[in-house]
Amino acid sequence: MGPIVCATRGGEAGRRTQERAIALAKERGTELIFLCVFDPGFAGSLSSALSSAVTEEQQWLGRALMSVAQARAREQGVEAGVVVLSGVVLDIIEEFLCESGASTLVIGEAKIDSALSAFRHGTIQSCARHVEQNTSVEVVVVTPAE
Amino acid sequence: MTDFLSIESIVVALVLVTTLVAIGARRLRLPYTVSLVVMGLLIAIPTSLELEATPDLILAIFVPPLIFEAAFHLDLKQLRQNLVPILFLAVPGVLLTTTMVAGMTALGAGVAIGTAAVFGALIAATDPVAVVSLFRALGVPRKLALTVEGESLFNDGTAIVIFRIALAAVLTGTFDPLTGLTDFFRVSLGGIGVGLVLGWITAQLVARLHDRLIVTSLTTILAFGSYLVAEQLHVSGVLSVVAAGLLVGNVGMAGAGPSTKLMILNLWEYLAFLANSMVFLLIGLNTDLTLLWENADALAVAVVAVVGSRAIIVYGFSWLVRLWRKQGFFPPSWRHVLFWGGLRGAISLALALSLPVAMPGRSELQAMAFGVVLFTLLAQGTTIRILLERLGLTKRSPQWVARETKLGRLFATQAGLRRLAQLHREGLLPEEMWVGLKTGYDHDRQQIQQEMNELFREYSDLEGEMLFQARREALQAERGALWDARQRDLLSDPVYDELATEIDYRLEALDLIYSTTGERQLGEDKV
Repeated sequence: MGPIVCATRGGEAGRRTQERAIALAKERGTELIFLCVFDPGFAGSLSSALSSAVTEEQQWLGRALMSVAQARAREQGVEAGVVVLSGVVLDIIEEFLCESGASTLVIGEAKIDSALSAFRHGTIQSCARHVEQNTSVEVVVVTPAE
Repeated sequence: MTDFLSIESIVVALVLVTTLVAIGARRLRLPYTVSLVVMGLLIAIPTSLELEATPDLILAIFVPPLIFEAAFHLDLKQLRQNLVPILFLAVPGVLLTTTMVAGMTALGAGVAIGTAAVFGALIAATDPVAVVSLFRALGVPRKLALTVEGESLFNDGTAIVIFRIALAAVLTGTFDPLTGLTDFFRVSLGGIGVGLVLGWITAQLVARLHDRLIVTSLTTILAFGSYLVAEQLHVSGVLSVVAAGLLVGNVGMAGAGPSTKLMILNLWEYLAFLANSMVFLLIGLNTDLTLLWENADALAVAVVAVVGSRAIIVYGFSWLVRLWRKQGFFPPSWRHVLFWGGLRGAISLALALSLPVAMPGRSELQAMAFGVVLFTLLAQGTTIRILLERLGLTKRSPQWVARETKLGRLFATQAGLRRLAQLHREGLLPEEMWVGLKTGYDHDRQQIQQEMNELFREYSDLEGEMLFQARREALQAERGALWDARQRDLLSDPVYDELATEIDYRLEALDLIYSTTGERQLGEDKV
């Protein structure tokens, strides 16, 4: 069975999404990968020095956020990998799912949108369907009610 | 003796009124400063209370504590990061405002151009006390508050200098642009110089004296003394207080103990509150509504000129910045706050009152100045909250407040523990007592950390936001370390410049990552 990929970015839904992915990895005994994707789209309009600083800073923050998730998984006896990528969020996630041969993608729906929410409120279900159609990977959406 | 008692009675009565207004405003959720003005107007109508707000009373007694307290609290590092927009708004911004307001009032209200220039200068300085207190209460981004405060601190000095030059030109009938420019730099830089010298002397004394009462007294002497000394030397008293406050607040307090700091902070918070209350109450008490009515046309022109020129300065500046920087200094929503938050207050009032009797059109200018101050306070001051809410700059959720409260408790606990450790190291705290107290503090600390974990578990976005704040704090510490290394000659200037610029870009990038989403910038507060 391929790894479980948990796409998270530390937003409002981050913690419960990570917890759910950890529980799922424990239950299935599969590998867990925390994936963080930042979209540097807006940086294109900046000066080259600032644009490169934005990209580097996003990577830095992403690694820090994913390390927190990794430590959390370790506390629960699950060893997890960490990947930080940048690009158009949905495209990159799909690409990574194919490359890693993932079996499941875990994403979270935010109660409220925040700067760190990877998926905007109301669009998550259509994103999930889109990913399932394009990659045939099972998508688990962690809702605020969970 | 009778005179003294009557003055004391009036002062006590005024403090009583301000206290009652504070209670009422808090209960009814009204802006405090606006409530004071309205109360002043209400008191002035039925009574014949003659309480003259002389320029000396306002400039020498009330303005120094207001400015000193604000400068004392400004973080030099943060100020440096926002120096370009602040200085633009405070120096060329004031010059342009003076010119535009002068032109518009001369054309629209038929005021002689020289007189209009005097009005333009006296009304150019923003006084956002009402706005800044609202910012603090609503928790708007620190960088926005800092820009508004910083602009106000520096533009007071600029406006007063221009006002004096313009007034002298009107009264003498001659104006030499070169002399005017020289005077401008002499008075401004002279004031800053006096403030820096007195501030430095005070900072040295603070580092050597450890008596909190004496150190607190020194800050009082500095705040009022720097104004008086500068004025005696015919340089800017206001800029002197700004420089002195910034220097002592940032450098001088480094050597002061925690109890001294606490005492100084409390004293200045109270003195600023008192001065602020008195100024706004006096604005109400000194406003002659009949005079305003008689000059309604000129007043309307003045209001349009002041508000219009503010819009041109703020939006024009943003547009100019966009021409040479792809990214503006602020998110678009902040510009609206900078525009609408450009209230006028104590400085304009004091300058209007200081107009000599020989000044042509004196009463008309005073009516215009009071009218503009009243308009900005009553119209802009009462609606800025709505604007902030509409722009989404006041979203301070209960969980955010809870996090901040816990963080504050953690700060306090850590500071307490550090102090105890220091006392223990110095042999002033017996071992047994240290162990007992430390256990108590450790327990408190663990409990707060546990509560924060639970809060983060429930509201996971708080955790992400804290990461932003922590990262910003760490980057600022990195920059500070580079500065120290350069001061100790461990780094050459070119290497320092390169590394510091790298960190500056990282700091800007961090802000951008957040601000481009349209959310509040969280990187401004300290962790």
